[in-house]
Amino acid sequence: MQPSAPLNSDRDSVLASNAPIALGSGERTLSISHLSKTYPVPFARSKAILRRKTKAPVEALRDVSFDVYRGEIFGLIGRNGAGKTTLTKIVATLVQPTRGTVTVNGFDSVHDDERVRMQVGLSGAEERSFYWRLTSEQNLVFFARLYGLGGRVAKQRIAALFTQLELEEVVRKRFGELSTGNKQRLAVARALLPNPPVLLLDEPTRSLDPLAALRMRELIKALAQQDPPATILFTSHNLAEVETLCSRVAIISAGEIRAVDSPTTLRSINSDAEVIRLTVSGLLREQAEAVLNSQFEHLQFAHGEQVELISFTRRSADDRLDEALRKVHQAGGTILNVESERPTLLDVLESYEAQK
Amino acid sequence: MHSLKLLPRRIYAFVVRDFRLFVSYRMLFFIRVVSILGVVTTLFFISKIFVGFTDARFSQWRDPLAAWLTGLAVLNYFMTGFSSLASAIRQEQVQGTLESVLLTPINLPTIIVASSAWDFVQATLFAFLYLFFGWFFFNVHYAGSFLLALVFLILTTLVLACLGILSASFAMVFKRGDPFGVFLGTGSALFSGVFFPTQLLTEYAGSGLSSVSKVLPATYGLDGIRRVLLEGRGFAEVTEPFVTLLIMLGLLLPFSLWVFSRAVRRAKREGSLIQY
Repeated sequence: MQPSAPLNSDRDSVLASNAPIALGSGERTLSISHLSKTYPVPFARSKAILRRKTKAPVEALRDVSFDVYRGEIFGLIGRNGAGKTTLTKIVATLVQPTRGTVTVNGFDSVHDDERVRMQVGLSGAEERSFYWRLTSEQNLVFFARLYGLGGRVAKQRIAALFTQLELEEVVRKRFGELSTGNKQRLAVARALLPNPPVLLLDEPTRSLDPLAALRMRELIKALAQQDPPATILFTSHNLAEVETLCSRVAIISAGEIRAVDSPTTLRSINSDAEVIRLTVSGLLREQAEAVLNSQFEHLQFAHGEQVELISFTRRSADDRLDEALRKVHQAGGTILNVESERPTLLDVLESYEAQK
Repeated sequence: MHSLKLLPRRIYAFVVRDFRLFVSYRMLFFIRVVSILGVVTTLFFISKIFVGFTDARFSQWRDPLAAWLTGLAVLNYFMTGFSSLASAIRQEQVQGTLESVLLTPINLPTIIVASSAWDFVQATLFAFLYLFFGWFFFNVHYAGSFLLALVFLILTTLVLACLGILSASFAMVFKRGDPFGVFLGTGSALFSGVFFPTQLLTEYAGSGLSSVSKVLPATYGLDGIRRVLLEGRGFAEVTEPFVTLLIMLGLLLPFSLWVFSRAVRRAKREGSLIQY
C-alpha cells in the first residue's frame, strides 16, 4: 500500500492549492449522460381510481452528466437526500433510471446489466447486506462463488483481503458479532473480491477509528494507482477526506449536479478570498492599527499573551500579504507566525446549497 | 454460456450458505426429524381404525398409512416447490441481503434455481424420512418403479415451482399478501388427495368443489406417484397425469419467468428491492 499524506485540515496550506488535477489515464471508464430518476408512486393508477391521496413522485436525479476516467478517484458530495445513493445504485444496476444512460467500460447499465455488475464493486453503508449468522469468511466465500471465483482462488483472494483490511482476527467471527467498523471493512472487502475495475465506495470510512480510516484512505489511493488502476466513485460526508483523495469532485444538490471540478478549482471559483492570520510581537495594537488600517479588508485585532493577533482578508493573487508583512516589519514588529485559511469544500457546498 | 458454466458453482454457493445457516440453529433439524416420526406414528394408529373398511373403488387407499405417507412426503416436496422461492426472496428482503446478491453478476434464472436449492435438498430428505419411517417401523410396502415416481415428483415440482416464481414476483412487488401461497398451501392439502381420495369430493361436495382439484398440479402429481408406488403401474398407465403436467409446465414456465423479470424491473424502477 502506498503511504498517504495526512488529511488536510480545514486550514489548508496555500501551497496545496496548486496541485494539478490527475484524471487517471484519460480513458473514460464510467460515463453518466443526462441521467434522471423519478421514483414513481407505487400503484398510483389504482390509488387514483380509488380516489386515495397519493404523494407526488420523488425526483431524485435531474439530468446528471459526468465522466470518470480510469484510475481517477472521483468524489460525490452533497447533503442527505441529494441523490448520491440513487446515483450509486443506478451505476450498480440496482435501480433503473427514468431517463439517460450509464455506461461502464462501454456497457449499458440497463441493457448489459450483468456485464456491468462484473465491472463494478459496491461498498455501501447498509449493514444488513450480510448474513449475520455466518462468519466473515463464510460470507465472503459465498459472495466469491457468486462472482465465479473457485475454491483455491477464492480462498487466496479472501485471505489477502483479510490481511489487507486488517480483518484477520474476525475471520471466524459471526458477522453479527463484529464491531461496526469491522462490518464496514468487510463490506469493502466484498466489493474488492472480484478485483473490479470500477469501485463505488459509499462512505467507506464511516464508523472507522482514525487510524483505520487513515489505512482505508491509503488503500483507496493504492487501488487507484495499482496496475491496472481502479476507477473509484467515492461518496463521503467527510469533506476533508474527499479533498485529500479525490482529483475531481461533483457537488450534487436536490438531484442536480451543481459543479464538477478539482477541489482546488471549486474552492477558487466559489471564492478566491482567504483569511490571513499574523502573530506579531514587539508591536502595540495602536501601532499595528496605524500602519494597517484602511488598507485591508475585514481587518481585526486580538491581544494574545505578549503578542498581537492580526487577521485580514485578501484575494489569492494580490500583494496584500507582502504589503502587510513589510509594514509590520517597518513598524518594528516581529512576525512569529503566518497562517492562511482558504475556503473549504464545506464552504463551497454551503454556497451551492444557499443558491438553491 | 459463461453464466451456464458458473451455474453449478453458484447453486453450490447457495446450498452451502443455507446449510450453514441451517446448522447454526442446531436444534432445528433434530426437532424436525422427531416431529416426522411423531406424525408417522400417529398416522399408523389412525390407520388401524380403517382396517377391513377400505372401499374397493379406492385402490390407492387399501393401505391408508401408505397413502398418507406418500401424500405427506410428496406434499412436503410440492409445498417446497411453490413456496421456497417466494420465502427465499422475502427472507433476503427482510435480511437486507437481496441487493448484495443482485449486485453480483448473476442472472435471474440462476437466483430462482439457486436460492431454493437447499430447500429442495431438505424437502428430499424429509420426504424420504416419511417413507423410510413407514417402511422401517410400520412395515409399509412400496411397489413399482421408484424412478418413474421420481420423474413424476420432479415434473410436478417444476410445475409448482412456476407457481412459486409467480408467488416470488408477488413478494417482490407487494411484499406481503401472496394469494398463490394461500391458494396452493391450503388448496393442495384439501383438494389434491393428500389425506383422502379426490373422488369423495365429487360425492360429498359436488362437482363445483371437485373441479378445484382438477386445476391443482399436485392432484396429478400425487395420483401419478401413487399409481406407480402403491399400485405398481407402468408408464403406459400413467400417461394422462403425465401429459397434463407437461402441458401445465409448458404454459406456466415462460409466463412465470416473464412475470418475475417484470417484477424485478418494477422493484428496480421503484427502488424497493430491499423494502419489506
